[in-house]
This record gives sequence, C-alpha cells and structure tokens, in this order.
Amino acid sequence: MLLFDIVFNGNDKMYAEAEEAVNAAIAKYGEEKAVGFPETAYALAAYYAETGDKITNLKECKAGLEYIKTQMPRERRLDSVFKSGVATALAAEILEVTKYIEGDPYEGISEGAMTDAQLRELGVPLVVYDIPCVALIIHAAPSVQEAVDLVKSYQSQGNFVCLVGGIIDQLKEANYNMGFNVRVYPIGDNISCAAHAVSVASRVAMVFGNITPGDKVGLQKYHFERFRCFVNAFGPLDEKTVACGAGAIYYGFPVITNDMEYTPSVPKSLIKLADVSKFNKASLEARNIKIKVTNVDIPVAFATAFEGEIIRRGDMQVEFDGSRIDSFELVQTKELTEIEDHKIEVVGPELDEFEQGSKNGIAFIVEVAGKKMQPDFEPVFERKFHAWINGAEGIMHTGQRDMIRIRVSKDAFEAGFRAKHFGEILYAKIKGEFEAVVDKCQVTVYTDQAECSRLRHEVAQASFDKRDERLSSLTDENVDVFYTCILCQAFSPSHVCIVTPERLGLCGAVSWLDAKATHELEPDGACQVVEKVGLIDENLGAYESFNEAVHKYSMGALERITMYSIMVDPMTSCGCFECICGIEPFSNGVAIANREYAGMTPLGMTFPELASMTGGGVQTPGFMGHGKHFIGSKKFMAAEGGIQRIVWMPKELKDVVADRLNATAKELYGIDNFADMIGDETVTDSDPEALFAFLTEKGHPALGLDPLM
Amino acid sequence: MPFNQKPEKFAAKINTVTIGNGDKAIALGGESVLPLYTFDGPIDNAPKVGVEITDLGVEDIPGVKAYYEGCGSVADMAKKASEMEGADFVVLSLKGGDPNGEDKPTEDLVAIVKEVVAALGDYPLVVEGSGNVEKDNELLTKVSEACQGTNALIMSAKEENYKTVGASAGLAYGLNVGAESAVDINLAKQLNVITTKLGVNPEKIVMNIGNAAVGYGYEYVVSTMDRIRNAALSQNDDTLQMPIITPVSVDAWSVKESMASEEDMPEWGPAEERGIGMEIMGAAADLVSGSHAVILKHPQSVATIAKMIKELV
Repeated sequence: MLLFDIVFNGNDKMYAEAEEAVNAAIAKYGEEKAVGFPETAYALAAYYAETGDKITNLKECKAGLEYIKTQMPRERRLDSVFKSGVATALAAEILEVTKYIEGDPYEGISEGAMTDAQLRELGVPLVVYDIPCVALIIHAAPSVQEAVDLVKSYQSQGNFVCLVGGIIDQLKEANYNMGFNVRVYPIGDNISCAAHAVSVASRVAMVFGNITPGDKVGLQKYHFERFRCFVNAFGPLDEKTVACGAGAIYYGFPVITNDMEYTPSVPKSLIKLADVSKFNKASLEARNIKIKVTNVDIPVAFATAFEGEIIRRGDMQVEFDGSRIDSFELVQTKELTEIEDHKIEVVGPELDEFEQGSKNGIAFIVEVAGKKMQPDFEPVFERKFHAWINGAEGIMHTGQRDMIRIRVSKDAFEAGFRAKHFGEILYAKIKGEFEAVVDKCQVTVYTDQAECSRLRHEVAQASFDKRDERLSSLTDENVDVFYTCILCQAFSPSHVCIVTPERLGLCGAVSWLDAKATHELEPDGACQVVEKVGLIDENLGAYESFNEAVHKYSMGALERITMYSIMVDPMTSCGCFECICGIEPFSNGVAIANREYAGMTPLGMTFPELASMTGGGVQTPGFMGHGKHFIGSKKFMAAEGGIQRIVWMPKELKDVVADRLNATAKELYGIDNFADMIGDETVTDSDPEALFAFLTEKGHPALGLDPLM
Repeated sequence: MPFNQKPEKFAAKINTVTIGNGDKAIALGGESVLPLYTFDGPIDNAPKVGVEITDLGVEDIPGVKAYYEGCGSVADMAKKASEMEGADFVVLSLKGGDPNGEDKPTEDLVAIVKEVVAALGDYPLVVEGSGNVEKDNELLTKVSEACQGTNALIMSAKEENYKTVGASAGLAYGLNVGAESAVDINLAKQLNVITTKLGVNPEKIVMNIGNAAVGYGYEYVVSTMDRIRNAALSQNDDTLQMPIITPVSVDAWSVKESMASEEDMPEWGPAEERGIGMEIMGAAADLVSGSHAVILKHPQSVATIAKMIKELV
C-alpha cells in the first residue's frame, strides 16, 4: 500500500471512531452536555491551538468534527498527508474527551490527560532544555528487555518519556517505576491517547512560546524549531498509528520505527531501523538533540583551582615530554558520519605499564563533528587543552601542539587516574564549552611510542603546517567580515576593538579566529560581525560600516575610526594593550614600548606614562595601543608607510618580534635584517639625538619618508 | 542674559512595567527624559520605594525591630511593611535559602511566600532569591508558581540561570522578571537580549544592574546607570529600555561604616544612624543616576527617600 492510502485510511478510521463516540454521547446526554479534560484552561488544547476555538460541549465537538472533515484532503500530495495527520490527532482528541464525560477514564498506572499544573512544571525544564526532549513511544517493543533498555536510555539522559499502548504493560511486567515524577509518563492503551501528547506540545507552544491560538503557521514553526520531540513506534504498525505519525512529522517530530515492511521511509522524518538498541541515538540525531555534558568523569577532583598546581619530580608517577619524545595534541574536524560520540580509545600501554618516574610520549587526537563546526575553530579548542588538563587534581600540563609536557602525580595514579581519563576530560570539556558547534566528539589517546612518532610526523605536523599557512594567508582583503570586540568595556566604557586577520585585538589575546569562534559560540556576546561596506578610504582602512559599528558599540562616544592609521581617527585603546607606539618626531618615526619594559623611552615617557595618554577608549592621534603580534603585520600603521616607521623598541620586545618583522620588511621593502636598524635601550633609552645618529648610521628608511606631522 | 531653557527631547522611551494588581499596582518607567528631569518633560511614574524583609525574621536593628514589634510571622512583617510610611512595594528576600547559610529547604520558603502572597493580596510584591544560582533554579521556579496571578517581580535571573527563572516567572506564570547583572552595561544588555530571546516579553523585564555601597566603587554604578539611560534614550536602544530596580539595603548595611559598633568607633556616633545614612545616600544617588525603584529596609530611610521623590517629581 502507498503511504497516501495508509494515512488517509488511518485518518478516516480515527475520524469515524470520534464521530461515532460523539454521536453516541449526544444521544445519551444531549448536545449541551459539557466536555473537557481535568484541570486545564486550554479546553481541547490541540484543537484550540490549531483553530483558536475552545470546544466545551458536545455540540461544539460536532462542529469541531465538521471542521476537521474540511482538513482531510485526499489529493495524492504530501501536503494532504500532513493535513490528514494533524486531522487524525484532532479527531483523536475529540474521541478522548468523550471518554471523560463521566469522570477520569484512566485508572491504574495510565494517566491520560496532563493537567496545566503538571504542564507548567514540565515546561520550565523543557524550555531551558534541562529536559533535552520528549520521547513518545508507541506500542510494544519486541521484548520486555528492549522496552526497559530503551526507556532507561532516554530517562538517563534526562528526557521525558510518554508511553502509549503495549509498552506500558511491558514496563509493568518488568516492575519499572513509572509516573510523572520520574519522567516516564504512561498515557494509555489506545492510539488515540497520543492526542494527549499532542495536547502537551500545543499547550507548551501557547504558554511558553506565546503562540496565539489559531496561528497554524506559528504553531508549526514553534514545534519545528523549539519543541524537541520525536516518536518511536514499534511494529507491526497500523493505519491509525501511521496517520498520527504523519501529524508528528508535519510538526517536525521524526518517527523511528522497527517495522521494516509497512511503510516506505522518508529521510530524516520516517526512519526504519530494525535494531531497537540503536533507537536512542537515531532519534536524538534525527531531532538534532545534543545531550549536555557537565560531569567530568574522572577519579580525581576537577576544578580550575588545580590549574596552577606543580608536580615535582619526586611526586610524579609518570611524565610525558614532547621536547624529548614525540608527543602532540590535535583537534581535527570530521564529518558527522565518520565518528562516534563519546568513543574514547587508548592505543598503547596503560599508565600502569610505564615505569615509575619514566619519561614517555603521548598523543591526543580529538575528532569533532558538528553542523556548525569549522576547521578554523580547531586551534581555538586546542589552546584550551592546557587549562582543562591542568584542571584535574594531580595532573600538570604545559605547552601546546607538539611541545607539550604532562606529569601525572603518584596520588592521582593511585586514585585510579589512567590514560583514558585524559580522553574523558577533553570529551567533557569540549562538549560542555563548545556545545554550540560540536555535536559529536571522539578522543584517541596514543601511548604507543611508535604510533606517537608516526602520527606526529604524518598527521599532526601536516595539520599544524596547514593551519599556519592558513593563518599567514589570511589577510584583511581576503575575508568578508571583521569582528568587534568589547570584552574590556567593563572598565573602558567607550572602547571598541575591530579585529581583523592582520590586526589582532590590542590586548594580544583576541585574534580574528578567536573573535570568529567567540561570535559563533555566543552570538549575543562581545564579538559581533562587522561587514566591509561603504569604502571611504582604502589606504586608511576607513569604511562607513566601521564607523557605524564603533558608534553603536561605543554607545555614541566614537564617530569615526580607521584601521591602518595612527594619525587619522586611530583605533582607541582600553587599558590592556600589550604595547604602545607613539610618534618620535625627531626621527620621523614611532617608538614602541611593551608593558614589561620598565625603563624610559626616547619619547621622554615610560610605558605607564604613555598608557595614561593612550588608554580609556579615547582617540589620541599619534599614539596607539596594540598587540605584540601586530608589530610584524603588513597593516601596522600602513597608511603612514608601515613598519619602516619603527625606529625604537626595547631589546626584549625586538627579540620576540624580530623574525616576523624582518620577513615583512623584506617582503614590503626588500630590506634585510630590518630589526637591526631599530634602536633599543642599549643604543639610548632617552636621547632622541643619539637615536637619530644611530638611525643615520644604519640607513634607517624612516629618515627618508614624508613627515608624519 | 536671560535664561533660555532648552528641553532635551528624546524620541525613545523607557518601558513601563507594572507590578501588583488593581488600585495598588505600581508602574515603573514610561518616561522619555533623563532621571528626575521633570523640567524636560513629564515623569508620569515617579520612582518607587520598596521595603525589604527576609525569611529570617526581624533584624537586630533597634528602629527596624521597633517597627515590626508584635509581628509573629514573615507574613505579618510583610503586611506591616506594606503600611510603612513612604512604601510603594514589599520585597521579600529568601536569603535563608542560601546553601552556604541557613540552607532552608525550598518547601519551607515557598510556604512563607504563599503566606506573604495571601497577606498582601494585590499589593505589589518583589521576591529576591537565595543568592545562590543553583538553589535559585529550583527555588524561584516554585516561588513563581506560588506567586501565579500576583503580577509580582521575581528578581535574581542571572546569566547562569536566566533560562529557568525567565521561563518559570516570565513564561509559565506570567510574572515580571528581574534581570540581574554585575555593574556592566554590556552584561546588562546581553542578559536582556537573551532573556527576550527566550520568549520573555521585554515589557515584563526590570533590570537590576548591580549596586555598591557609597565609597565602595560606587562610581561604577553611577557610570553604568548613566550609560544605560543614555543608550536607552539617545540611541533608542530597545535592549536597554527596561526600568532599573536597585537593592540598596544589602550593600548599605554590610560595610564597616554601618556595622562597626559605637564602642569600637565612638567618634562615628551610633551605628544605626550611620546605616540609615548609608542607605539614604545610596538610594538618593541611585535615583539621580537612573534607578526607577530602590529597595531599603529602615523605616526612616524609606520615609526620607519617599519625601525626596515627592519633592522632586
């Protein structure tokens, strides 16, 4: 039989039963007899939500059925299937209400209609996703054990389980504890009871979603987007069940069944699966539900308080040292189908097999997948490993990528900490902190030395290289959007950073990739998208959209900003800049001081004195706060000629940035060893004339440039 | 040169939020002028003064003790507080629920709330949580249920638990939601945005942007309120147009200026007077900076601030 015929027949049957029940009731009680479910202000809620009309007596039931009849088109179109599905649920609700005329028909374990009070109690955790979703299970599972296992699997994830039909008897047989309070809610035996589940969904939409009764489109949209529900229907299926299922699918609730024969399957909506043990996973995936992971399942304590803990050699059970023996940490993006969530595997010996106090290699490959996951987030996740692994009591971690060092204390080892627990930590934290983009996460811990070496060279190195290449190829020109960052507005109220690939935040802590990830993870947070619209001056890096953004996010304090000039509307600074550069008029360039530098500069000001000129979200032409890494950027005061303007910086800072600075100078101006042309405190820490003499001797390019002022 | 008055006109407006029912209901906000700038335009709803009581009973401050004399229950205190000169609403703090303090069970606290609701009827009620985010998740859900129909304001929806508090108070039981952040305009804004996204009607949200005792970093409070009111009015930022409520008493009575005994600090004078002073100074400054309601506990502070409002608006 075709799906059309099954649904239409099922719909007709349910309708006929409802009609018969209403007619019989009218014959017995008369048309004016009041009907309703106990303790609800929403009458027949499914019908009310769909139509905006409250059914309160048998006469209105009859009118309701007449309306439902108009919603049962029989053209062979998908739309008719959906409409008939909803009509089936509405007819079922009318059938159910006739049962309540002489009091609550549900006795024993079955509970029938849910009261408004229960609904509100259920609604709050549903809306905040403490209850990840509602599972509606219909008919008997192939065996009692499978029924128990399935229900338990949903229950242990915090889901609310509604039961209709044979499965209730199966759980009863197994003495399984059921009831509203344990989130296993047996409704009743007849398939028409499914109407009570629909009623719950409809009331949640009206109470929590502010859906106006009768707003069909809004209701469908709310269910589709917000109400997380799915149906598990056990075979053999029948027409009425499938017709109800069509209604569920219309609302966006996927149906999973083990009846492989009766109906054709519909991708993502009607899924056929013979193995009941796979129902849980398939259902959650089909409805796109992520179960929140909050517990870190390890035998030692886990808290940020342990981050600074140092494990001394004498206290250590085993050490992994990437500087001596191949080790690494790597996050890789995979397709959803390629990995299995929460699969944690240890390849190689467990910690017990390592000699006490020995030095070894270890590697973590964390594979993540998600609809919103991007390979650009990989380094953002990886950088957190350090803090996470350190969070475990008795574990010390330093470094990143393939330069890591980990120590496990004797105490942690004795408490039962093993290699697999690294996997548990990484799994729980990635799923917990990055749930917005990670749907699945799988961790492999390698302790096999040969594998560590092979993977380091074949996989990790290649990934790191590729990533570095991506980073260096990211330019302000080849991305579409920049990001604002207002993380530090708490103490610098009018400051706004605009973060670009070539200009990281002035604190040095927020790169363009970080900002991008922050925006994905917290869409209403500190980092917002700024598009490049309305070019004003390419050289200055001035756009209408940047001006609008700083105006908006500085609450009107700033009007204009340029990206590449320190003279014309320069970017403001909060107070957390890594470095400050300021004009050195004598040599026509700029001097830079970093926060750690305590001495005097040729500008006649120390870092704190410069900071007082520059901070506080105020535009001070001629002064600019910036991150260390910005010094090697091609965009460093590009409007005024770029890095060739740098005439002085502390030696320590110069050592840090020399490589990148030299490479950029070579590329832009063809100058070799540019860093050596830049003065430092060993040349002079305060005398502009001495600096000028040094620059002249070195042939520094700034001396030949146009005047800055 | 003659004085030429130029009223500062804004196209934007602070939301009006009603607490309580019927004749006794109060409205916060609704104006489109800066705080207390009645010379620029009308302020239909003058700022309001709330009286704080707690589930822990009467506090050991002579003036407070004397006022509540004879009250046998928290509900009696609530009734009495509602009759205080200058009071516009009653604030019930459930700090006894804090797991790090008395750790009273949720059921006991909900029972108290129910009694208070019965005692106050339509009179406007504001409920504060235990101060503990996790406890509040459970507590405020039940409290919201107990307050159904009262149009009360349920405070203490923070970034960590706004979903639960917002969903129960704002969605399930149709109450007002107090969005609490820590003296930072962006945090306040973000909380309003996400609470609204949850489905809570923005006209049912009141902000508690945080507070400090005068002399304890209070400048941050002033500047944050200033910026919020400016953004709301001059930039028409509808994510910051919620009225502001500020609990003053908690901070005012927990600093050394109000706690040090007279024996220890004879030159400072009686402790109670100092506490009242801290409360009045804090409340007056909050109202000038942008609060639409302040929460106090001493009868003398309540009367003084009420008088000040009356004179100014």
